[in-house]
Amino acid sequence: MKRDDLLAGCLLALVGIGVVIGAFRLHTGTPLHPQPGLFPLFGGGALTILAVILLVQAALGRSTGSEAFGKLGPPAIMVVGMGVYVAVLEPVGYVPATMLISAVILRVLGVRSWRTLSLTSLFLSFGTYLLFARVLGIDLPAGIVGFLG
Amino acid sequence: MDALANLGHGFGIALTPWNLFYAFIGAMIGTAIGVLPGLGTPTTIALLLPVTYKMEATSAVIMLAGIFYGAMYGGSTTSILMNIPGEAASIVTCLDGYKMARQGRAGPALGISAMGSFIAGTLSVVGMTVIAPTLASFALQFGPAEYASLVFLGLMMAVYLSEGSVVKGLTMAALGIVLGTVGIDPVFGAPRFTFGLNRLMDGLDFVVAAMGLFGIAEILTNLEAPEVREIYKTSLRGLLPNREDWRRSWAAVLRGSGLGFFVGVLPGGGAIISSFVAYAVEKRFSKHPEQFGQGAIEGVAAPESANNAASTSSFIPLLTLGIPGNASIAMIFVALMIHGIQPGPLLFQQHPNLFWGVIASMYIGNLMLLGLNLPLIGMWVRLLTVPYHYLAVVIVIICVIGAYSINNAAFDVGLMMAFGVIGYFLRKAKFPPAPLVLAMILGRILERSFMQSLQVSAADLSIFIEKPIAATLLLVTAFVMLTPAVRWLWNRRHAEAQPA
Repeated sequence: MKRDDLLAGCLLALVGIGVVIGAFRLHTGTPLHPQPGLFPLFGGGALTILAVILLVQAALGRSTGSEAFGKLGPPAIMVVGMGVYVAVLEPVGYVPATMLISAVILRVLGVRSWRTLSLTSLFLSFGTYLLFARVLGIDLPAGIVGFLG
Repeated sequence: MDALANLGHGFGIALTPWNLFYAFIGAMIGTAIGVLPGLGTPTTIALLLPVTYKMEATSAVIMLAGIFYGAMYGGSTTSILMNIPGEAASIVTCLDGYKMARQGRAGPALGISAMGSFIAGTLSVVGMTVIAPTLASFALQFGPAEYASLVFLGLMMAVYLSEGSVVKGLTMAALGIVLGTVGIDPVFGAPRFTFGLNRLMDGLDFVVAAMGLFGIAEILTNLEAPEVREIYKTSLRGLLPNREDWRRSWAAVLRGSGLGFFVGVLPGGGAIISSFVAYAVEKRFSKHPEQFGQGAIEGVAAPESANNAASTSSFIPLLTLGIPGNASIAMIFVALMIHGIQPGPLLFQQHPNLFWGVIASMYIGNLMLLGLNLPLIGMWVRLLTVPYHYLAVVIVIICVIGAYSINNAAFDVGLMMAFGVIGYFLRKAKFPPAPLVLAMILGRILERSFMQSLQVSAADLSIFIEKPIAATLLLVTAFVMLTPAVRWLWNRRHAEAQPA
């Protein structure tokens, strides 16, 4: 849909303008006597110009358009679930937090059996913790399962 | 002769038990992720980076390289049996591979795909053995001006060769450059766009960005409309192509190998584009182009050979010039940096064990992959029966572990998620994500080289014109950038000239 390209063009133009303003605040200097803001100014300027070209293309009906959205509920639930996951990961630890997000994803993807949900979540969270933290030595927050060593 | 002696030395390194083990693990994981749709090579390499922290650098790159070229072998299995590409580079294989499966010839399709991949992969490593040292020696003449010009060319090629609209690709590159400026400025030491957050002082991590843009975005897209997988049940006996199959395929394999090698060396080129080019060329050369899309074995042999040759040759710009040409190679670039190794022309001299060890391991890896993909085909097919919901959870979990382990901080997991959401909307709006990740890396190199050029030339921009190599590279860049505009003008004039 061309309307989505218009929206994307507007958003990207805003980001570009924001970067240009930020670059001037950092002081840009000149190409011959550059300052920290010079390179962001190039990037932000290019982004703004390209976003405007995209807007013009969309307005003229010459942009490539976008794909139609399907059901937005499942991805939205996962995003919210991941937000909660990030918040609780360090306080409660990897295993309980991962059990929770695994159960959410499985449920969203259509797993109805509570037995499958709970057993799979438990197996995956404990299994990956033991593999990555214990065998491969990667630091993961132990949290309330610190007794595992 | 030097190259042969060095290669012999490389085999001495690659054939040590641990390096053989890592090459095997890389080949196994590569085949598995190639077979499974949804988990691409950049994400897999990104999320395995933490595992390599404690490994020796050569072993780490041997394993990660194995994953990259191994995925090309596995990708065709899913294309042939399910009509879904396991890897983006196997999209075109669906056209004739799946038709062959429906005609009861899945065996020869899988067989020619694996053997073509082996021949192409091996020929490409031979080409790399010959070309890489010469190119590295030539690149030693590069100063900052030449390097800045080369990086700029690489970035523009990455955009030009990416899928979809050039304007959208360029927009992504500009956004990547902007995101790459977050953090402490490499020249002046001033914090930029950190919003007072200490966590952003080191900049936005490419690995976190790649896992979000490729891994999480893929899951979000699939959650919206879960894909229906159906394996075409057919006999997998008779995997060896017969004499007639070989008669029709050998030239396609050789042409695919040559084309793939050439396209892979180009910055921005790689396995995906090479497979499309090889298919188009093969159809053009064929005496029976009408059979393409109806189960022509050449339509499987050419793209599968090309994507393997390209995946191998795309290591050349990384190892000799220090320029990652695609997202997967960019992750291997990050792996080298994590181990304190600067990829580039000096790699050949400063780290010969790594340089030649990795090249030698590719000969061995290709042999392992042939063994893994033909006799064990039944095992890989069974992997496809794993329900998607299990796979999705595993992908999310390993992305979380990968992101968390970079700085041991949940902040990075949140950042990865944010990139995932951005990646999801970018996919929907048909913005290619690869130029964004590449520009985050190349933008930083470009800024440093550009500033160094100004220091060397006492702030005289004419250094970019006076240095012949830099001027030539910029000229090629201008050509690449202007080509779409010229083509558009040409088409418009041509359309106007047509009678209504």
